[in-house]
Amino acid sequence: MRIPRSILWAILFMGMFLQAQNKQLLYDFYEIPQSLLVNPGVKTFQKWHIGVPVLSGLSFQVGTSGVTVNDLFADDGIDFTTKVRERLIDGMSRKDDFSTTSQIDGINIGFRGKNRPDDYYSFGMYGETDIIVYWPKDLAILAFEGNGGNNIGRSFDLSDLSLRGEMVNVTHFGVNRKVSNTLTVGARAKIYSSIFQFQTIQNSGSFRTTQGQDNIYSTSITADMQLQTSGVEGIIDILEEDTGTTQRDLTKLFMKRVLFGGNLGLGFDAGFTYQLNPQTTITGSMLDLGFIYNSKDIKNYTVRGSANNEGITVFLPEDIPDLNNNLWEDLVDELEEALPYEENDEGYISFRPLKVYGSIRYNFGEGGVFDENCGCGVNAQGGQNDAFYRNSLGGQLFFMKRPRGVQAAVTGFFQKRLGRGFSFKTTYTADKYSLTNIGLGLNLQLGPINFYMLGDNLLGYRNIADSHYASLQFGFNIISWNDN
Amino acid sequence: MRRLFFPPLLAVIALFLIFSCAEKQDFNQFDDLEVTPTVASSIFYLESEEQHINAVGNFTDFYSQIVNFEAFNEEFVAERLLEGTITYEIENTTSKDLNITIEFLDAEGNVLDAQVFDVDQAPAPLFSLEVFYGPGGKNIEILTTTSGLRISASNLGDSASVSSLPDPKLILRSAAEFTFRLQ
Repeated sequence: MRIPRSILWAILFMGMFLQAQNKQLLYDFYEIPQSLLVNPGVKTFQKWHIGVPVLSGLSFQVGTSGVTVNDLFADDGIDFTTKVRERLIDGMSRKDDFSTTSQIDGINIGFRGKNRPDDYYSFGMYGETDIIVYWPKDLAILAFEGNGGNNIGRSFDLSDLSLRGEMVNVTHFGVNRKVSNTLTVGARAKIYSSIFQFQTIQNSGSFRTTQGQDNIYSTSITADMQLQTSGVEGIIDILEEDTGTTQRDLTKLFMKRVLFGGNLGLGFDAGFTYQLNPQTTITGSMLDLGFIYNSKDIKNYTVRGSANNEGITVFLPEDIPDLNNNLWEDLVDELEEALPYEENDEGYISFRPLKVYGSIRYNFGEGGVFDENCGCGVNAQGGQNDAFYRNSLGGQLFFMKRPRGVQAAVTGFFQKRLGRGFSFKTTYTADKYSLTNIGLGLNLQLGPINFYMLGDNLLGYRNIADSHYASLQFGFNIISWNDN
Repeated sequence: MRRLFFPPLLAVIALFLIFSCAEKQDFNQFDDLEVTPTVASSIFYLESEEQHINAVGNFTDFYSQIVNFEAFNEEFVAERLLEGTITYEIENTTSKDLNITIEFLDAEGNVLDAQVFDVDQAPAPLFSLEVFYGPGGKNIEILTTTSGLRISASNLGDSASVSSLPDPKLILRSAAEFTFRLQ
């Protein structure tokens, strides 16, 4: 398999820093138009908005559930091999992962229907990269310690090798509708254009060396492993070319795939906001219920079979007719036949990582900050309007489908509005990556110009190298309210 | 427009830069990483019934074979092999003394090393020998230049007697446990 070391290192290194897709600060922060992307049924107040191209939404999330950069690379005088053994090999479990998510909002436009002012339409295009690599604990132990010594008798679980990644361009169109004074619903259709994708599918198997039945050791391996890739070979081919046009060729390939020249797929988002009473609101959304059919630039790698080996064996007199000089080669050939490594170019379907959000919000501190000046669209109706209150307190849940099950996070938040032009949201989030994740989001409105900045795990900035999680999201929009 | 967008952006980035810290990191430590797994595997197993040994006759090889064996001199392995042990176990339940010789041959057929075992007739205890290769032991280059094994077994006794033990036979077991430097 021709995957240059530089790419593998880059992926792993990115994985050390980048992390899950939970956007708890943006979720239900309805002053920011991009909150429509995490809940198409969020309340919308603006008449229209235009995101500044490429600068309307940039998000980078970073972290690791296991070892941090500081754990390994701190200049602490401890032997590096010891640190790797104690903190990485022994310290991490197969449930730990390195993952990366980044999103760049290329185009983001929204407007209220002229004939149907209760509807808010939004569309645009964004690019997203999402990679998750689970820590292959048993394989790491096998590589670090081998199958000998104290590992005789140990079964190494080959299913520990689990990873998934993709870069995809998403073109979307959504409708947000105020159904009543208490209910807003929304849906968004998506067309995915894949730039690359790779995934392992339910790898299973084991590798074990035990006391042999005849000889001293018996080594057995059972494997059913597959790595599916699409779009990767084309990129590697360009990188391996020595033509001096690498950057141009990559850009050309990238642009082609961004503009529907790659593998295509369809997806769907849905969400709602429901006001239980004037001060209490619940919301929910489901994102990326979709798939991509990968049929172009496919290369899949498989290892399937089982084999048992006790070395070269000769039984006399039974084996006399078979004796020759090539017993070793015969043994190797037998193993390769029993456990064939194969490549194919069969198309496959990859599912997008489904995400589900839910929240409850309690508003208090009457202020009437928005509805008098901005008009606040169809939702400006005094006590029916969340923005009528200065403060909000609530909780959020986040679930995401990952290769090894559902990843969950719980968030508590407090939101404060200071006048018409400024609001902030602070969150505390607990998930598998961190139990001390405090985030802060700021939204600034200067006339029609909207700027927002959302930063996560602020405590981690005390020593960013030791942080399990860090994320940053910001963007610019031009927003028109009903009266301007 | 640039005046509108960039000042707040720069301000916030500056804020993060001012308040974020990082302990000193030394990424050159990666060069100090030592990954030295120990790999274990059986090598060769020979089993011969006493009936076969008698049929071949005495003072002659009832088994002699050169086996191409490139396990250690593969470039990837040879460059990384640090040290290790080859373990031999011999079990003889036949009624005769036996001799087993294992010669390590290079690509030209020259003998690099030899292990000679004189095995007593039954009842003899299980014979076990561990041969260490590496610092303080045999030269590791014997293995890294070995491309064949010549294994021979001969009967030093008679060719008529039969052991009173059930299912009399000669068994030779061998396995290797070696340490490699991957990084």
